[in-house]
Formats: sequence, C-alpha cells, structure tokens
Amino acid sequence: MNISGKKQKVIVFTCNWQAYSSLEAAGIEGLGYSASVIPIRLSCLGRLSPGIILKAFEGGAAGVCLVGCAEGECRYQNGNIEAREVFTETRNLLKLLGYNENLLQYHLINAGNGSEYVNIMDLLMKTIEEDREKL
Amino acid sequence: MSTFNEIIQSNRAWLCLDCGKCSSVCPVTLHLAEGYTSPRLLVETAVGCGEDKTLEDPLLWSCLTCLRCTEICPSEVQFSAFIQDVRQLAQKKNLSGDCTHSGMIQTWIRMMKDPDLKQNRLDWIDGDLKVARESDTIYFPGCLPYYDAAFTDLDIEGIEIARAAVKILNSLGIEPMVLENERCCGHDQYWQGDMETFRQLAELNIEVISQSGAKRLVTTCPECAYTLKHTYPEQFGELDLEVLHLTELMAESRLIADPNGNNDSEVKLATFQDPCRLGRFMGIYQEPRDLIQGIGYDLVEMKHNKHTSICCGTSCWSTCGQANKSVQVERLNEARSTGAEMLITSCVKCQIHLKCAQQGPMTAEENEITIRDLTTLIAESI
Repeated sequence: MNISGKKQKVIVFTCNWQAYSSLEAAGIEGLGYSASVIPIRLSCLGRLSPGIILKAFEGGAAGVCLVGCAEGECRYQNGNIEAREVFTETRNLLKLLGYNENLLQYHLINAGNGSEYVNIMDLLMKTIEEDREKL
Repeated sequence: MSTFNEIIQSNRAWLCLDCGKCSSVCPVTLHLAEGYTSPRLLVETAVGCGEDKTLEDPLLWSCLTCLRCTEICPSEVQFSAFIQDVRQLAQKKNLSGDCTHSGMIQTWIRMMKDPDLKQNRLDWIDGDLKVARESDTIYFPGCLPYYDAAFTDLDIEGIEIARAAVKILNSLGIEPMVLENERCCGHDQYWQGDMETFRQLAELNIEVISQSGAKRLVTTCPECAYTLKHTYPEQFGELDLEVLHLTELMAESRLIADPNGNNDSEVKLATFQDPCRLGRFMGIYQEPRDLIQGIGYDLVEMKHNKHTSICCGTSCWSTCGQANKSVQVERLNEARSTGAEMLITSCVKCQIHLKCAQQGPMTAEENEITIRDLTTLIAESI
C-alpha cells in the first residue's frame, strides 16, 4: 500500500536489536508492506530526541514510527522507555503545531516477529490514509 | 546585507581602545579554559586580520549578546550588534553555532514558517480565564506552550505563566485576545543571523497582529517584547500598536498598590535575576523590584544586579557547553549567597537555563533555591 498518488516517505526508526530483527524476519518470511516506509536503524531507540523526529516532519515525512525492543528487553536497560518519553513529548509538540499527533507512533516488539512488524506498518499506513481523507 | 568593512564601521569596532573592560565583564570569557578568546580579542581580530579569521573565532557563536560589554565600553563599540551582523555573514557561508536539544527548538520554529500552519496552541485557556475574540489588547504568550511541552523534565512554569498573565490582565479589567496563529517572534533567529527565517516569521506575525486591530500588545517574554518593540520596527517599519512587557503594565496600572506593602510578619527573602532583554536592552529595572516588594518579599540584591546583572548563560538555544554551565552555576551560587530562599525572574528562558543547571553538577546543598516567575507569583497574590 503506497500513499495514494504521492511519493511521500514514512520514516521508521528501529533499534538495532529486536525491532530490526523483526524487520529482517518480515523480509525473510516474504511479508509485504508499504514501499513508502524508509527504515532507519539506530543502536538503541533511546538515542532519539524530539528534534530528530520533528526534523523528519519538517522534511515532509507523512508519518514517523518508533519501533523498539519489548519492555524489559532493552539491551541498554531502559532505552525503549526513554524513547516513550521522547515520543510523548514530541506528540505534544506536533499537536501544538497543528499536526495530527497520531502520525507519530511508538511500538515495542519481540525479536524475530515479522508478522507483528508488518501489522505495525499497516496500522501506521492506515492512520496516514485516514488523515489524508479528512483533508 | 552589509560588507565586513561596513560592519566594522557601523558598529564602531575600529574605535576599540584595547582597554579590555569588555573582557573583564564578559560572562563567557571568564570561564573559557581552553581556546581563550574575548570581546577585545575578537574585535582586534576583525580589525587586524579580516573576515575569515573573525568567522573562526569561537566567541562569534558563544557570545550571549547580553550587552554587558557594550554598556561598559568607553568607545561605545556596539559589540552585541557587531556579533549579530557578523553572524549574518557567517550564515551566508552556511556557518552556525552548535545546536542544542538536537535542534528541536530551531526545527519547530522553522516549521512555523509554513503560512498554512493551523496551530493548536490555545488549549491552556480554561474556564476561569476571560479572553475575547476582539479586544484592544493582545496577550502574546510567545513560545510558552511549546516550552511547556518540551521541558517537562525541568518542572518549569511554562503555560502557568500564560495563565497567570491572563488572570492578571483580567483583574485589571482587560479581556485580552490571544492569537490563534501567532508565530515565534524570531528573536533567536535574528540574533543567530538567520535573517531569512526571521523575516518570514515576522511577516506572518505582523499580518495577524495588524489584522487584529488591537492597540496594545502585552507579552510575558522579554525577548518577544524587545523584538516586537524594537527589532520589528527597525527592520520592517513601525507597528501600529504599543508593545509592553507585562511587568511594565503591572507597574503602570498600580496593580500592587503599595510597593513596600509587606504586612506579613514572616519575612520572606527573594532575589531578582534581571533578564538581559528586559534590563540592559529595555532599561526595565525598578518595575519588577517594586512588584516583588509589593507582594510581600524582602528583596536582597545579588552582587551583580541591574546594569551589571549576569545573563542566565545561554542564548538562542545555541552553543551550550562547559563555560555556559559555569556561568549558570556561578549565578545560582550568587543568588544563594544573598540568603534568599527564592530566585525570581521574569523570563521563561532564565528559568529553564537555571533549573537545568540545578540538575547538573551542583551539589544538593548548593541547589537549595526555588526559582519562580514574577508573573505567577503575582497572580497567586491577587
């Protein structure tokens, strides 16, 4: 599913560990998701800050998703939880700027879970499509 | 845009006497351990070595433009304005200061340049606050809603300041309008030399302000007040309305009737941090002091106060490092050594920077001072 008629990008920040292994699993299992998704791999989701997420929107991203390790599974103790604070803060800023804050999403995922990764991507694309229909 | 030689001439840099007074008061210079530089040396470089060397000087970006050196200069070298002009040249060459907070603030400000942006910035106006769709007075909260969302970890008074301001205006019988689509005033972009962003923001602001038909604009941010009152007219011609910092309006309207009205038997000591734009830039020193005493505090002054007051350590959300933290820690120590239990300021940025320093390398004991905004304190007392 591509964003209708537009070559817009959807940025997905994944951590290097469970989130990325799920992305790879989706590829190995041959599961499809939108070609608009541009994954960006980070060492840990905890390295993100609101400035970087806002920059994606400033650059014209149709949506942004943060995907990290399942709770309690972060390789760096609490990067996934810190990312949740960054997520909440950035959503509030987006809301102030008049953006639909649901265009920024946050999910935690177990290792090697390709189908769950695809579900997350589909959910994100659905939100973006719905947001477009409202306009 | 001026050439480098014009900048040297218009800001009187070539009249520098090399006396070093500027360097002895510069808050940043004092804390530079490595790569020592100072306003005097920077001006000397500009006059003697030309543009390229000047653009390499780290003080070009670490200067707080606090105006302390400019005020003390016997030759009236306009150092802060000189820095602003040279930064414009630097921006043209794609040079800029180190961004802080991973560029978050600069990014949302650039996002505000979108003329079609429909912000959602008035959620803080709840039932008790009276605002009008049309009024003679605009209340301009500036970036307060954004800071409130961005600095949750510092426990700052962000949106509380805006609420307090409307409450105070209401108690003066004013129902202000709050603009749905005001933008950042562009103060930081101007002082960073990013004139293109500044112009775009200013044009959008001037449009909504002039459409409103208001006769007066009140703000709680000294930077907004200075920019709207002085920088906009300088750059884009006179605005057809009066711009006031809320402190001026409160003092003018005698909101707090008796400046020495301390009827409380319990003596509460407080000290005041003069924001650079309110103090040195706009000359408002006495008004906040009268108000503080009027609400029952005994005001004790820090060693550096009024004209000699020290900046809160960082400006334009740019270049915040060890030297800046040292400026802040020193300022907090100065505040504590007065014996005051509360440090009052009237700029949200002073509050953010000083509270940030309290979370840094200071010991728990050194930390013991409450930082509050004058607006919220007054709103509580009325």
